[in-house]
Amino acid sequence: MEKQGINLERLWAPLTKICAECDYADGPDCNPQKCYVSFAKTVIEYSRTKGVTEIPGIHKLIPPQDLKPYYKDLVSEGIAITCQECRQCRENHSPDCVVALVRSSLEGTVLPEHLEYPGSVLVYIAKIKELDPELAEFIAAKMAKK
Amino acid sequence: MSQAVFKQRNGLVAVVLVTDCGVITPEKFKRLGEMIDEFGIKAFKLTTRQTLIVLLPEEKVEPFILAAGERGFKIGCFKEAVRNVKACSGSSELCPRALGEALPLGIKLQERFFGRPLKHDFKIAVAGCHRGCTDPYCADFGVIARGNNLFDIYIGGRGGSRKPVHGIRIAEKIKEDGIEEILEYILKTYNELAEEGERLCLTMDRVGAEKFIPTEIIEKYRERGEIIDQDFLKLFQGGK
Repeated sequence: MEKQGINLERLWAPLTKICAECDYADGPDCNPQKCYVSFAKTVIEYSRTKGVTEIPGIHKLIPPQDLKPYYKDLVSEGIAITCQECRQCRENHSPDCVVALVRSSLEGTVLPEHLEYPGSVLVYIAKIKELDPELAEFIAAKMAKK
Repeated sequence: MSQAVFKQRNGLVAVVLVTDCGVITPEKFKRLGEMIDEFGIKAFKLTTRQTLIVLLPEEKVEPFILAAGERGFKIGCFKEAVRNVKACSGSSELCPRALGEALPLGIKLQERFFGRPLKHDFKIAVAGCHRGCTDPYCADFGVIARGNNLFDIYIGGRGGSRKPVHGIRIAEKIKEDGIEEILEYILKTYNELAEEGERLCLTMDRVGAEKFIPTEIIEKYRERGEIIDQDFLKLFQGGK
């Protein structure tokens, strides 16, 4: 029988890669109020500690701005994993789901605007393609590898 | 209150046992097991309302009901009364998706309201998140957790019908303390306004849903602020 829960370790791994490349890691801006990746890590840690997959109201806390440079290649791996871990809840999608929070944070690093998640991975990739075809291609390639 | 005891086509009798919103402790389970041979129980059946049907020979029904009561079981009710409450496993101990303590709340509502006489049967469902596994949108009184121990309330739903009806949301972000008071108001109003045998949704259609909305009580218990997980907020504000 397959375990149905969200694999938090898989979500965590690409974030550590991003941090390893970051010049600001462990500096004053390395905190969840200022950094998208730090925010995503805090979400995962909290989810792990509390055993919850949804954290009420938290999407409103995603930092409004984080101007650090991010590499699409690294970020796309993280987004690809969120797509694979997404349970595709469709009409029951919640922006406060742990997977959605990590994905939204990562989107912020490379996309010019916030995307309303449609609850389905295929439709989501199509929406990204409209905004940034290169990023959509990266994500699709990473998803195909796993 | 009519007891939920029904003769079956094969001659056996179905006795409906109420659970704590679907939870049966190991101790109670053992007690039930001890009664299998004693009363010639032929089968158990789980129901969609989280009750447990016991199938047994007709001559054993009365002594079984007596013994079940002595061993801590309640017999289900039907017809014009508040039915047992359905609640999902939403709680801080069980379902990871839960946004609130739905299960303990459901048990509490059942303890207080189960069996109360009304003009028609009245079903209550409590869910720990918006997914609504217990069909709170189709209950006479549905409660859905929102986080921070706050709940939305729906009334006038009807499931299990040729003409299913979704309830309407009458209150948002209500503190747990207010739920019993709101339910008390609705039951009282329903008993005053309903015709005999008229389900809540039909009474609402006939006299107007607004008569069932206790504005003052809602205002008293409504949270006006944003719902944000307070434990996360502390972590967030604490920096790294």
